[in-house]
Amino acid sequence: MSIALALCLIAMFSLAAIGTPIAYSIIVSAVIYLAVGGQDIALAGEQMLQGLYESFVLLAVPLFIVAAGIMNAGTISDRLLSFCVAAVGRFRGGLGHVNVVASLIFSGMSGSAVADAAGIGKIIIEMMTKDGRYPRGYAAAITAASATIGPVIPPSIPMVLYALVSNTSIGYLFLGGILPGLLMGAVLMLMNGYLARVRNFALEAPVPLRALPKITANAFPALLMPAILLYGIYGGVTTPTEAAAVAAAYALLLSTLFYRAMSISALYRILVESARSSAAVGVVIGAALILNYIVASENIPNMVAQSLVGLDISPLMFLLAVNLLLLLLGCVLDATTIILVILPLFIPTCRELGIDLVHFGVVAVINSMIGLITPPYGILLFVINAVTRIPLGEIIREIWGFLAVLLVALLLLILFPSIVLFLPRLFGYLG
Amino acid sequence: MVRKYLQHVADGVAAAILAAMFLTFVIQVFSRYVMSNPMGWTLELCLTLWLWLVFWGNAFVVRDRDHVTFDIVYLMSPRKLRQVLATVSALAIATGLAVSILPTWDYIDFMKIKKSATLHIPMRTVFSIYALFLGAIVLRNLWRVVQIWRDGKTFDADRISETSEP
Repeated sequence: MSIALALCLIAMFSLAAIGTPIAYSIIVSAVIYLAVGGQDIALAGEQMLQGLYESFVLLAVPLFIVAAGIMNAGTISDRLLSFCVAAVGRFRGGLGHVNVVASLIFSGMSGSAVADAAGIGKIIIEMMTKDGRYPRGYAAAITAASATIGPVIPPSIPMVLYALVSNTSIGYLFLGGILPGLLMGAVLMLMNGYLARVRNFALEAPVPLRALPKITANAFPALLMPAILLYGIYGGVTTPTEAAAVAAAYALLLSTLFYRAMSISALYRILVESARSSAAVGVVIGAALILNYIVASENIPNMVAQSLVGLDISPLMFLLAVNLLLLLLGCVLDATTIILVILPLFIPTCRELGIDLVHFGVVAVINSMIGLITPPYGILLFVINAVTRIPLGEIIREIWGFLAVLLVALLLLILFPSIVLFLPRLFGYLG
Repeated sequence: MVRKYLQHVADGVAAAILAAMFLTFVIQVFSRYVMSNPMGWTLELCLTLWLWLVFWGNAFVVRDRDHVTFDIVYLMSPRKLRQVLATVSALAIATGLAVSILPTWDYIDFMKIKKSATLHIPMRTVFSIYALFLGAIVLRNLWRVVQIWRDGKTFDADRISETSEP
């Protein structure tokens, strides 16, 4: 390791540790690296500018953020929720199931777990805690746990980021996420059903079957969204990036013309908020591009690959070890950082060991989503805490059961790659 | 008052960039799918707008608390220590980016010889937003240091309140 790199890493970790934004920590330490190594300092800016300007796939990020914002504001989320209550609310632990199913459907439209938790999650937590039917910590915990499904089922911003660093096809990554997302939903519902029986949560009054057609009709245009998106991408009509624009346009049409629930000023606020979060994500992406340039020019990923292959480690052992590492990192790091900065270190090793990159990507994305709810540092826990004011301590006390079943699901996906790869292969993936 | 007004303008520009991106994309899908006659300029315009959204946004619209941050240590620290940590952060950012301004401008200025593929805009114009970003972030962080020591009690109130219990 060169002195320049050592100084760069020391600066980066110390700055990040004291609360400097990750993006600026990386940019500043990149400047140190270039200056100490006697290279042109302009390389930092050049890597960011060229990288952001040439990465067509990244355009999906701001567009998915806008689409999610519009859906949250334009009563689309509410309508979906009443549909889910009517469909699965009658069973024991009903609202918990509603929570998971709503996340499954909603995640077919937004690409972000945080949008899911802050939007539909807030409404459902209010429903669950009204009249004290569910403990508020439990309501918040299942909401956080089910929000992790959001970026696993397409569309997905984290998968777009993984596609960027690994050069895999977004289309196949999206397809690869569908079955794992359903599996995660299933294990969460099992856990919820079990806990509801053991702790004897109240039953909902079932929605009369007579009311079902009206509620379904009301939610139907919104339910069409995942279908439109998937058809757009896999029918060869749009690229995944264009599908993001179509999603946003469709959401906008629905909330302005069809549901008439969006004013111009509300739309303006959504645009400002979305621009703000897109820019915040964008600068992390840009900084990660610089760091990846440094890491690549120091030949680190290949060194990692060589030393791991030299250890004669089996692919399965490698996957388990990397996933354990990612889980530990997920306790303290944000998912964006893990995907953009940590994963590229392991991609050459995957190639050497013959691990499928779509399988690896889907598993790693799920892993870093689980990282969003692992205490002490879980963005989803913080978001729910911020929008509902339910104390973090209560949420964390209730999260463990859901965390456990999600980890079981993750283990299944590592052991059986065909759960991930079945759908991509059906659509012609040769991995 | 003036600051508030300028903030409105900055927010408005960011919103307009995003809206323009969105519209351009819709035009692109429409031209390709409905008119089967794709237009090359839409993609390039989108990429340019995206670049401007990121750097304009971070220069003027993104607040400190919006950034992806590892803040466990920071939030656990007592206020006096937080003041010191925040000052170190702000000075490190200001210095690091200030050092890079001149060399980076050399690069951006050099790009005037290159024109973009379809719209033939000099790349210097496209990339110039990055120079604005560098300058704005340096000034913002210097100003931040002043704020930290002037409003010692409230300088990070927005970050502290977000994760604290009610």
